[in-house]
Amino acid sequence: MAELQAFAPGIYPRSEALVQATRDLDRGRTTQEAVDEQVERDFAELVSAQQSAGVDLLADGMMRWQDHFRPLLEAADGLETGALTRFLDTNTFYRAPSATRDEPKLSAPLDERYVAPLPGPRLVTLPSPFALTHGTKLSPKTVAEGVLKPAIEGLDAELIVLAEPFLAREGQRDLSDLAEALEALPGKLALWLEFGDAGKVLAETAQLPVEGIGVDFYATHLEDVPSGFDKLLLAGVVDARNSMPEEPRELAAFAERLRERGIERIALVPNGDLQYVSEPIAREKLSRLGKAKTATTEAAA
Amino acid sequence: MNFLKHEIGSLAKPAWLVKTSQGRELDERDIDHAREWGEKVGVEGHEELVELLQRGNADPAEVANWSSRYCVRLQESAGLDVIWDGEQQRSEMYAWAIAHANGFEPRGIVRSFDNKYYSKSAATGPVSLREPYHNDEFSFLQSVAKARLKIPITGAYTLAIWSYDEHHTPKEGRLGAGYGRKQEIEARRELTLDIARNLIRPNLEALIGLGADWIQIDEPGASTEADELDLFVESFNVSVEGLDCFFSTHLCFSDYDLFFPAIEGMSGCRQYCVGFANYDSRELGTKAEDRPGYEVITKFRDLPYDPILGLGVLDIHTDYVEPPELVRDRILYAVEVFGDPARIHVCPDCGLRTRSWEVAYAKLQALAEGARLAEEALTREHASA
Repeated sequence: MAELQAFAPGIYPRSEALVQATRDLDRGRTTQEAVDEQVERDFAELVSAQQSAGVDLLADGMMRWQDHFRPLLEAADGLETGALTRFLDTNTFYRAPSATRDEPKLSAPLDERYVAPLPGPRLVTLPSPFALTHGTKLSPKTVAEGVLKPAIEGLDAELIVLAEPFLAREGQRDLSDLAEALEALPGKLALWLEFGDAGKVLAETAQLPVEGIGVDFYATHLEDVPSGFDKLLLAGVVDARNSMPEEPRELAAFAERLRERGIERIALVPNGDLQYVSEPIAREKLSRLGKAKTATTEAAA
Repeated sequence: MNFLKHEIGSLAKPAWLVKTSQGRELDERDIDHAREWGEKVGVEGHEELVELLQRGNADPAEVANWSSRYCVRLQESAGLDVIWDGEQQRSEMYAWAIAHANGFEPRGIVRSFDNKYYSKSAATGPVSLREPYHNDEFSFLQSVAKARLKIPITGAYTLAIWSYDEHHTPKEGRLGAGYGRKQEIEARRELTLDIARNLIRPNLEALIGLGADWIQIDEPGASTEADELDLFVESFNVSVEGLDCFFSTHLCFSDYDLFFPAIEGMSGCRQYCVGFANYDSRELGTKAEDRPGYEVITKFRDLPYDPILGLGVLDIHTDYVEPPELVRDRILYAVEVFGDPARIHVCPDCGLRTRSWEVAYAKLQALAEGARLAEEALTREHASA
């Protein structure tokens, strides 16, 4: 019987209370301590929501990450925040990485503000080396060795999910530089091709030295998964950019189609960070992700 | 010669307005803020507001009118020629429009960047205008402003792309089906043109009926999808075609190269307000290599219908106050490229909503002084030629 998991990597949306707290902080109307307390409440709510949904790996929701890169850019010598840049085709922006030297180094691992301890088996999301060098002249291997490796070393995580929003949109390309970079990283890795049609790169990425590949199945055709795909497939079946709640039976039926295609190891995940919907919607989607897993398992039993 | 200087749209709301709107108690600092800024920018009768705030339980609508007066005077006293009230009466550029439309339902708060967020709605049915939603503020500002008014209104494409679409997107059957861009674009086109025809256009007609002669259609979302720029252009044309008014558009934080050649077909747009300072160097200089953020302006220059360029010279994402000399050099470079100073207006990159009034005011003063320095330099150059 095929292995089926469910989990939700990436940045999780902030609650309205945390939104208000951070706004108030920016306007000098509250203290950092008050914001920290609200972060802790949001974090506890997220853990509880994941446990209720029955996910297999807990995620910390990256509550303090302003975007996919910020804490790493702030902590690494030789990297800094660049221009405010639109994230793909969303109304969300990020500070693009900018390199100030050829070999950036992370002087110390990220602390618990950015990688929070969790009460159970966990995943940690970091940017992929390709994404972290996107728009810079650095090689993926350079940042993998100098920045990501020290960030990963010492982490107690079942899976490191490397968020990769750009690669699928670039189309077919030589991935040998990314392969070299991934070779340099410790731990069990998954490359999460967020928000895009992975069809043109899926055959190539399936050869990369990672445990799993994440695919957005709202943009990617099922037929584009290469035959003989033998990695863990992070199947993006919850649409993180659409407000409509998914129907668990439809997700379960899709998981069944993946199995019929011979895919042995499947994890049901969102097709990108859930922060692109509001927190109540994200919570509902998380719940339905869990229900889809249950429905799939029951159908197979 | 004089460069026309104008704002782009939003300014921060003062704490005394926010708290009053939320029914929260004001503290002494809020009262001091109202007193100090009333004196600083010359708001007639501001003592009346101070008393109103001190008494407590003020009517939020009345306080919002005061806030509009403050922002009008803030911009006038900073030296701008064309102004608005910093959108003090609106909830936010997206939410305000959506709140006055039929066919949308709220779907919560999502992040724009860092600690900035916006309320996002979903299109759930056919769109129509519930009531013209800028008339009251326009009429009020006509009675208050000494400078010329320019009304910002959020454009159809931005309203569409910033919304979820539950009306045109299939509820099932997309998963693993390779639901492609063609279908997405078709769905977006239906929604966008629905908004242009049935929400934006009747709203523009209402404002023109009240005497509005410059309407800025804000389209910060215009370049979100590189392959939908024709749709942005089409929606602009559908919104304004045949209406008698000076229409401009505001674009920001985009790869502006993407707009070409699509906007060659947007001849109803007489001015493009575009943010460049965010991408530019802070070093002085008027050569192309000194002004990397402004490289793309040649493309605006070469548009077949000769629009004016609203030149963004203030980075609105930082408290850094641009020295007037830097503003001057940015303007002089643009004049050099355009060859015609009359085709250059001077403005911030975008609305200054995310900056404090102190910072916004200092930046706008630097803008005005920089424009004056540029005028002086050009006059000198002209005299010596």
